[in-house]
Amino acid sequence: MFDFLKQYYPVFVEGTAQTIIISIIGIMIGILLGLVFVMMRLSKLKFLSYIARVYIAIVRGTPAMIQVMLIYYTLSKVLEVPQIQFLGSGLDRVIPGSIALGINSGAYTAEIFRSGIISISNGQTEAGLSLGLSDRTTMFSIVLPQAVRNILPALGNEFISLVKESSVLFYIGVQEVTAQALGVGGTLYDFVPPLIVAALIYFVLTFILSQLMQLLEKKMGRKYLRSN
Amino acid sequence: MSGEKNIIEVNGLKKAFGANVVLKDVSFEVKKSEKVVLIGASGSGKSTLLRCLNRLEDDYEGSVLFEGENVNGASKEKLRLLRQKMGMVFQQFNLFPHKTVLENITFSPIKLKIANSQAAIAHAHELLEQVGLSEKADAYPQSLSGGQQQRVAIARALAMKPEVMLFDEPTSALDPEMVGDVLDVMESLAQKGMTMIIVTHEMSFAQNIADKVLFMDDGLIADSGTAEYIFKETNNTRTRSFLSKVM
Repeated sequence: MFDFLKQYYPVFVEGTAQTIIISIIGIMIGILLGLVFVMMRLSKLKFLSYIARVYIAIVRGTPAMIQVMLIYYTLSKVLEVPQIQFLGSGLDRVIPGSIALGINSGAYTAEIFRSGIISISNGQTEAGLSLGLSDRTTMFSIVLPQAVRNILPALGNEFISLVKESSVLFYIGVQEVTAQALGVGGTLYDFVPPLIVAALIYFVLTFILSQLMQLLEKKMGRKYLRSN
Repeated sequence: MSGEKNIIEVNGLKKAFGANVVLKDVSFEVKKSEKVVLIGASGSGKSTLLRCLNRLEDDYEGSVLFEGENVNGASKEKLRLLRQKMGMVFQQFNLFPHKTVLENITFSPIKLKIANSQAAIAHAHELLEQVGLSEKADAYPQSLSGGQQQRVAIARALAMKPEVMLFDEPTSALDPEMVGDVLDVMESLAQKGMTMIIVTHEMSFAQNIADKVLFMDDGLIADSGTAEYIFKETNNTRTRSFLSKVM
């Protein structure tokens, strides 16, 4: 059933590498945007908070597939990306695609960060401020490190979803692992075996990711006993 | 204490949370090295008053002069400098759980360049000895008892070399057997001449330590004077009725 792998395994390796790369870029952009938007969301300035709410509402309320296509078609009009081939796809597709993944993930990450920040008692902020620390130092050195520790499980979930949802980049022609599996399926006139291979690859990737997150949780947890 | 100049002067302080007026018109002053104790029923405005002094409560009317500089209306940068001179100890300790005891104490002095890290660490060890917790330097707060955490919190505030210490019900969250240790530390601090403003329900401690007692009732300083006066001599019916309930 899986004899085709002998011939087609390089295609799957290439697709897997592409999936890993777009996921990593997406996660990093997502974390960055999440931080920016959670600061805006919690800002005392009403209009910043409003912009963040609108962004989160739109991203959460529309399908990722449509977001990816909208961003790809819009970016390709305004941004001149050289059509260099990279792991079987043009950079003019990979770059907008990863950015779209990041923009999508950023909204969810912002909300996860917010849940973490509001879980930290106000007393922590007050203690920092009372010592003469600035708002920024209090947020980044006192509140956020504690918040991040509390939200690691939720962040892990988000990263895992992103790896799986990176398959939507298939629609804009990024040759990630789903696209490659479909391509192989088309050649073989049998889609089931290559799709099973793709599913297994996603499973292994997300499993490794969840193990890494658990390791990180343990590492941060060892620093101090559980606080309530 | 007389003859010393005022380190803090509060004039016409009014604070409301929405429609709820918590401080109606409060004025008092604190001289250098003076121990001022705020007493009164829950909800009388004691903690709010204390928190207005370093502007953890913002948006109030009136002035709080710290060494002649108005805390109310100070710029962000100025406020941070003023806060450094006013150490604060909270009811819930509020130690940073992700930092060791030593890091809790040294974080701000190093971050704010009050001391280099070597000097800050040396000072922190001195302070830990002062509060009787030398052996806990590398422990995380969660492994300490409430009384120990509160003593670390006092050391953390002292690390900034403040000129005034504000205590917001420092023993109210402690098990009874822990209260004594914390009060002992505060008393030795008082003997060293620290200026202290203390909100407390520990009446015998208040009587013991206070140069001046302010009795707060319904957002106002209803009665004030020496500990002797407030606890023994006053004819104020509200003071007497409050004290008869708590002592």
